Amino acid sequence: MPSKPISELQSKVGETVKTVNGLRVEAGKVEEFANAIGDENPLFRDEDVAKAEGYDAIPAPLTFTRVAYFDRYRPDDVDEGLGFNLGFDQERVLHGEQAYEYERPAVVGDVLSGETTLTDVYQREGRRGGEMTFAVYVTEFRDEDDDLVLTERVTRIETGVADEEPDADRDEVDGA
Amino acid sequence: MTDRYERSLYAEDVSVGDTSPELVVEDVGIEDFVRYAGASGDFNPLHYDQSYAEAAGEDSVFGQGMLTANYTAHLATDWFGLDRITAFRARFKDRLYPDDTVTVSGEIMTVSDTPTGAEVDADLVATNQDGTELVTGTVTATLPEHPDNESE
Repeated sequence: MPSKPISELQSKVGETVKTVNGLRVEAGKVEEFANAIGDENPLFRDEDVAKAEGYDAIPAPLTFTRVAYFDRYRPDDVDEGLGFNLGFDQERVLHGEQAYEYERPAVVGDVLSGETTLTDVYQREGRRGGEMTFAVYVTEFRDEDDDLVLTERVTRIETGVADEEPDADRDEVDGA
Repeated sequence: MTDRYERSLYAEDVSVGDTSPELVVEDVGIEDFVRYAGASGDFNPLHYDQSYAEAAGEDSVFGQGMLTANYTAHLATDWFGLDRITAFRARFKDRLYPDDTVTVSGEIMTVSDTPTGAEVDADLVATNQDGTELVTGTVTATLPEHPDNESE
């Protein structure tokens, strides 16, 4: 159970926090990211290829905005709780789901900023007993014209007992 | 530029039940987890420090869930084209371990006509060599009509 009552957590639903500042999409970082995920597509490396395919510049891979977790792009008061202190026990926090909606591809030269809204908090009985607490965070990434580029939805789960499924991804437990 | 990346998929080409080419990522290793850590900023030591992982009660380090999600995103990108994808979702089901081989595949679930082509929804799944699902996902793409058909 989180260290705070569920009613207090749910009272935060609808609150919005600035979570991403000055996320500049850079060609070197895009290529490094594409390398790391094993995608050899020249689209992520060669501006001529990108332009021939109708892009304004080299585009970023679909999940590139994970880069926003680097301190460089985080306001000082934003930690792994994405600006919301829900009292989750970080050792039992799992990453349940990650979803994106795209208005357009992010491309090299974009400078993105992001605001995160806590959109849902709910509890459910875990399969191995204990209450699982779900929190859904929606981040809108906007360009320098304040136009929406993409929306990212992250679902985090505080498990009721250790090793509750799903347990595939603990990447926000104590990373970075 | 190879044929693999040519834009070949148009609204006329897709039907419910069509399957994607398979994407196979062979013999994933700790180096891949480290590379993804550096690229993404996810430096949780559970993904590369064996003694840390054991102290945390794990048998082995394991990959970032988002790394497996990226293999499914990679397939979706190759299949439909990056700028045609309007939505992508990944759900984390099980862990990716060193020496795993990941196979990603997709199947078209719905095709809806639009004024300029079609909107397509597909299911995606990444499995390991034992057939265990690591990540399931969905992708939505908007495909134009084939250019040869536009003037007719």
